[in-house]
Amino acid sequence: MYIGIDVGGTSTDAVLLSSGRVQKTAKVYNTPNLMTSLLQALDSVLTGVSATEVKRVVLSTTMITNLIAEQKYHPVALLLMPGPGCKLYKFRDADVHILKGAIDYRGREIRPLDEQEVLQAIKEVESKGYSKVAVVGKFSTRNNIHEIKVAEIIKSQKPHWQVDMGHVAGGQLNFPRRIATTMLNCATKEKYSYFVQSVKEALNKRNIVNAQVFILKADGGTMTLDSSEQSPVETIFSGPAASTLGVQALTPAGETSLVVDIGGTTTDLALILSGQPLLSSKGVTLGDDLLTQVRALAVKSVPIGGDSVVDQVGQELIIYSERMGPPYCLGGSFPTPSDALNVMGLTKLGDIERSWQVMEALGESINMSALEVARKVINLVVDTIAIEIENMFLEWEQEPAYRIWEVMQKRRVRPKNVVGVGGAAAGFVPQIAIRVGGMPVLPLYTSSANAIGAAVAKPTLQITLRADTEQNKFSVEEDGYQGSINEQPFGSEQALNLAKSLLVKRSEKMNISDEVKDIEVTRRDVFNIVRNMVTTGRIYDVCVQTPRGIQWHVGAGGKLL
Amino acid sequence: MRKKTGIVFFPAFDWSISDMHPEREERLLYTRDQIFEEGVLDLPEIAQYPPLVATPHDIARVHFCVPQVDDQVLAAHRIAAGAAMNLSDKIMDGQIKNGFAIVRPPGHHAMRVVHGNRGFCSINNEAVVVEHLRRTYGIKKIAIVDTDVHHGDGTQDIFYHDPDVLFISFHQDGRTIFPGTGFADELGGPTAYAKNINIPLPPGVADKSLLYVVDNLILPILEDFQPEFVINSAGQDNHYTDPLGSMLITAQGYAQLTEKLKPDLAVLEGGYAIESALPYVNLAILLAMAGRDYSHVIEPDYQPEKLVESPQVTDYVHRMVANIQRVWEKSKAITIEQLCGSNKFYQRQKSIYYDTEYFEEKQLEKVRTCTKCPGYVVIDSHAAQPKIGRCRVLAVSIHNRCCKQCIEEGLEAYNEAKKDYRYSYVYLQDKTQDNFLTFNREDKSELRTEG
Ligand SMILES: [Zn+2]
Ligand SMILES: [Zn+2]
Ligand SMILES: [Zn+2]
Repeated sequence: MYIGIDVGGTSTDAVLLSSGRVQKTAKVYNTPNLMTSLLQALDSVLTGVSATEVKRVVLSTTMITNLIAEQKYHPVALLLMPGPGCKLYKFRDADVHILKGAIDYRGREIRPLDEQEVLQAIKEVESKGYSKVAVVGKFSTRNNIHEIKVAEIIKSQKPHWQVDMGHVAGGQLNFPRRIATTMLNCATKEKYSYFVQSVKEALNKRNIVNAQVFILKADGGTMTLDSSEQSPVETIFSGPAASTLGVQALTPAGETSLVVDIGGTTTDLALILSGQPLLSSKGVTLGDDLLTQVRALAVKSVPIGGDSVVDQVGQELIIYSERMGPPYCLGGSFPTPSDALNVMGLTKLGDIERSWQVMEALGESINMSALEVARKVINLVVDTIAIEIENMFLEWEQEPAYRIWEVMQKRRVRPKNVVGVGGAAAGFVPQIAIRVGGMPVLPLYTSSANAIGAAVAKPTLQITLRADTEQNKFSVEEDGYQGSINEQPFGSEQALNLAKSLLVKRSEKMNISDEVKDIEVTRRDVFNIVRNMVTTGRIYDVCVQTPRGIQWHVGAGGKLL
Repeated sequence: MRKKTGIVFFPAFDWSISDMHPEREERLLYTRDQIFEEGVLDLPEIAQYPPLVATPHDIARVHFCVPQVDDQVLAAHRIAAGAAMNLSDKIMDGQIKNGFAIVRPPGHHAMRVVHGNRGFCSINNEAVVVEHLRRTYGIKKIAIVDTDVHHGDGTQDIFYHDPDVLFISFHQDGRTIFPGTGFADELGGPTAYAKNINIPLPPGVADKSLLYVVDNLILPILEDFQPEFVINSAGQDNHYTDPLGSMLITAQGYAQLTEKLKPDLAVLEGGYAIESALPYVNLAILLAMAGRDYSHVIEPDYQPEKLVESPQVTDYVHRMVANIQRVWEKSKAITIEQLCGSNKFYQRQKSIYYDTEYFEEKQLEKVRTCTKCPGYVVIDSHAAQPKIGRCRVLAVSIHNRCCKQCIEEGLEAYNEAKKDYRYSYVYLQDKTQDNFLTFNREDKSELRTEG
């Protein structure tokens, strides 16, 4: 038995799955005490079930997303080693100290550290009252020695300080994003550990003792609850990932689907290409300018939903993006698309009579009947969403490519299914589907799609290996580890095997070695190193990962209209 | 909002001329690492675009590929040219203020007639952009400034008789480096006199003298010409670590050069110091185009005391600049009649060496010296390229601004050659109609590219 729990902003959803079927769903409204909500949700899905049979619990949480949005995290000092390249005076409003050491693109030290300078920086950091420090160097994912050395010095001087290093937090090539990711991890760790404690206690109290516990990440993968304490930032934006995975579980395998999640004020669009959710090529951006390395599914948010406000300007009807309370039919004071759906007979929400009243009032001065107004409103919503869907595909087609085969195989893809999730989906999705030429699908259990998505998510791990036979070294981008190549001869096969064995090792360390049965190879490039007309070595770039996907598909697929 | 700088980054990680060739997968690997690690693609001043694929028609607008476009052009070439075209479109429709195509393979040694690969180039990316801009947007005057250490002989060849395209190339003196051309007296044909400006520099030029050339020669000539669009053939082999060139230019020097030149579009050409130069020079140029601070982009091995230019070199450069300034000033009063009297045609003989496949092409090139238009060009070329063996072709190129009479004469030249048994292939490039034909003698077929 598996449990999925989505701790949202206002409610906590839970689902119990067994033998690939939804056994029970629950929704509880959040109280200020996280523990209470968790216990309530667990109690609802566990009635009549033995808790010890639960093998796996996956949670998704908006806690860190909210902390960051409200800037309720701890202040962090940054010790940075930018080396030559782009100038870095400041990083947002953080306390920045620039240090001398530098590493280049091949992981070579091009400028040594100055330990006196590190000591001086520690003094300054202390005098400003910080006790949390992020240490980040350019190219630290190719070689982490400087970061480790600086962290050691800090620890020896200030054992009680919290120190986070860039190569641990952000394992891709992007120094500014690595800084942001490291800083946020450092800033949220302490508060996040309360969350982890509450989850552990709640599960213990309900006797769920035989389960592996995971946290959902923004890329739709999971990490163990314990390892998530090292990188709380990975939990952000897991909400949209949860509902996309939920849809993936509720629709037939292998198909290309567009997920349209129509909420009160926003509509989230996501793409499942041949059965796999599309990952965004760039990391998550928080607020306007906090760019991170956190991988996420490519989700596009459109500011329109069932509760958006409809207004009349001159002879035209327009829809505002902000919410001004509930729809008129639910006692609100403004007309909304939800009211239009009621009038069209597409939904039966609240007081339908009130929907008719407000649509009629809206049409009065422009000589339109309530029905005409409602049709127009729905068309406006459908238009807006259809345009954004087209844009989403265009953006996807505009993704850069770095290899000839990638450019030459680019093709136009359009979805087979348009899958509706969320309160207002039933009313809009059939028309959106017609507009984009897909088949409308409204799966069962869509109100629990997020919890289902969490429950079926699988752990994901990735290793990006660069083996450099000229230097006889290899490095792992995910953690900046640098090792030496011992095998001779060392070729493409050896590089791939090394990457795979590193993945297995990493999975063992994280207690998820069961997941590494099949390994997917996502990239394999070979570069001849030629110097003075002689081949002096080769660089192998290999990227391997645990298979993407979900545990199982749930139910019979959904209602085809 | 201020407009952004566009970038297409296409390192072609799955393509090389051969394993050991400088044009191999590794060439832009470290540039990729540096640009990605710096996070510059995230900057609000920069927008990244995918490469597009140039069509055979886009290429036929510039080149006579023997026997056909598909025989000389690989996907890699079409993507590199397409990348530059894509950026030019974004500039023209106002999405971006300028653009940098960091692509391979390069193109500035590719000439109008293509029998094979020359100097790592098969297709002239900048020339493809020029013809695309003229056809699509009706742009008249375009300038190409070639800042590669090698003479841009392909670009010179393509626009030698084109008064609407100003080609300026500075480079290391042809007596000391491939391709051995690019002297100051190669000034363009009579219909395009002084629209081809070569600035051959002695080895050992450092940043200061190079910027002196830009300030005192290139910028004033550009100012006179008033181009509607400026393309920079941005070769990076003037760098002090380049294995092929002997110049002393730094990443800072390249950035300042770019800042002064303000090209609408820069297209990467050569540069084979793939570790010590390219990651830093590409980054510096990109930042300069985007108006960002590039002052910290400094090569790890930079030692200013090792990059001192000799006084003789400085002196030589200053005198050369003065000479070319005089030629440019005088050229303004020179007429076609003065250059070729009453001759109906101006002609020149050329032999072109294909250094990748080791064969030579012989050409007789004639241009109609019309006083009303740029004239049409007829090229009689033969070569023994490895692909098809010895073969002689005739190619007619009609400029997009040709007068009625020149168009008629050009078409007649094409039709006459079709009857001439000596030519295996006869080509017509009628830019007034965007119509490109290939006549194949063997099967008497006439192919037209679609576009
Ligand atoms: Zn040049
Ligand atoms: Zn060159
Ligand atoms: Zn004429």
